[in-house]
Amino acid sequence: MTDILQVLILGIALGGVYALMGSGLSLVFGVMRIVNLAHPILIIGGAYVAYWAFRLWGADPLATLPLAALILSATGILLYKLVFEKDAKSAKYSEMTVLLTFSVAMIAEGALGSAFTNTQRVTSPDYATDAIFIGDLFIPTGQVYAGAVSLAIIAALALFLKFSRFGYAIRATTQNREAAELMGVNVNFVGVVSFAIGVGLAGAAGSLISFVFSFFPGKHWEWIAVLMSLVVLGGMGSVLGTVVAAFALSVIAAFVGAWIGSTWSTMTFFLALFVILLVRPQGLFGERPELA
Amino acid sequence: MTAPLLEISGIEAGYGNGPSILEDAGLTVENEKIHCIIGPNGAGKSTLLKSICGMLKIRKGEVVFKGKRLNGMRPDQIIALGIAFVPQERALFPKMTVRENLRMGGYRMRDKNELERRVGEVMERFPILGEREKQHAGNLSGGQQQTLAMARTLISKPEIVMLDEPSLGLAPKIVSEMFSIVKMMAEGGITVLLVEQNARIGLQYADRGAVLDLGRTIFEGPAAEILEDPRIKRLYLGGGKAERKPL
Repeated sequence: MTDILQVLILGIALGGVYALMGSGLSLVFGVMRIVNLAHPILIIGGAYVAYWAFRLWGADPLATLPLAALILSATGILLYKLVFEKDAKSAKYSEMTVLLTFSVAMIAEGALGSAFTNTQRVTSPDYATDAIFIGDLFIPTGQVYAGAVSLAIIAALALFLKFSRFGYAIRATTQNREAAELMGVNVNFVGVVSFAIGVGLAGAAGSLISFVFSFFPGKHWEWIAVLMSLVVLGGMGSVLGTVVAAFALSVIAAFVGAWIGSTWSTMTFFLALFVILLVRPQGLFGERPELA
Repeated sequence: MTAPLLEISGIEAGYGNGPSILEDAGLTVENEKIHCIIGPNGAGKSTLLKSICGMLKIRKGEVVFKGKRLNGMRPDQIIALGIAFVPQERALFPKMTVRENLRMGGYRMRDKNELERRVGEVMERFPILGEREKQHAGNLSGGQQQTLAMARTLISKPEIVMLDEPSLGLAPKIVSEMFSIVKMMAEGGITVLLVEQNARIGLQYADRGAVLDLGRTIFEGPAAEILEDPRIKRLYLGGGKAERKPL
């Protein structure tokens, strides 16, 4: 019983981080219809901000999280203006963004690789190697902190989307872009801001993963499938769905890792992506895609 | 004579890079009246409304609202001037509640208390919306959705409401309810510009009418006159089997 509880706790703690990693991707798809394959490399960009701030000034990654989010948000705005804005009205926009973001991911990987090499990095604040013991249960402090901060950020995002005027505009644009325009929403502006928020969330997630996982530029390939599985299971564009999917898959992956073997843990996400697309392509909270 | 509220002259418009649907469409919309545009399928009626509110690019001609040229403006900028538009597909937010949809109708309002007051007012005027305020718009019946879409325009107190086929897909009883909302809008001082496939009903409620065919305005005048015109009756109101050629 303790074993099961232990695995469950580890799965839930990591689930929070996965949820934050996936929610930015989901928001950007929901509002902009951009399938952002560059999201994981942007997360790694955020991790590098935290890493260098830690290495140069000894700054705690939790303290530099807003800085990483801000730098990545600015990068997001630049990226949107340079790459995505021009064709935003194209009927084939979503399909085009797959190729565009793939190219951006390749370029960013190359740039980060040549700047920082492909050496594995990790920030190591004191709590990253600490653990909390409750009876026989062992909970890594770093994961608890990362999970708790992730959930706090997601809760803030949910409140913002639910109650603020701009949150209404984002939700409206996600559900019916044309109708949002007819309500007086400047959907282009909503798009840019949502993209900046989405990429900012990637920056924040990067700060957190910098002390939970080791990272290097090439690591983003692995993350693409992981994040896609969360977003697809949740229902493309549903932030709530992504959060639920993150916890579900993280817990399943933790059990697979504990009972079958750690190498199979990541496989859970890949397999889930494959099965969801076959069985329920609209995911948990999405709408069934039109096949015709 | 006072200047018209909305003046459309010789506009040409179409979808994307495709051919022009409107070739030489014009319309004069006077203040505080119900105007009904009729015409066969593909005449360009919906295209005209979409062009007015900036959803389609005007290739030629101009649209002037209260002396301001609308050509080249974004839909959100046009809406801000006091124009509301309910398209055929009703433009609701299916995963937002009825109350949230109504709030979106006043998106441009800065005073939150005033917005809530108007939402409350509309829900009082349309009790069915009040009863379903927490329900998602996507779960409402067709008639309720249309009521919500039309009632939502009242939140921002527009000067003109454009309705594209408000009776589409609705049962006859519900259709008359929709038209009583149209009448109520006009009585409240709102100008209504209506596109209606069900031409007779539309014209019966309207003060003025226009006939659009093959992208051109071929007649404009009092609605009663259109209803009585034998050629229009024969060609557009189902009064005969004549081969359809524009007048």
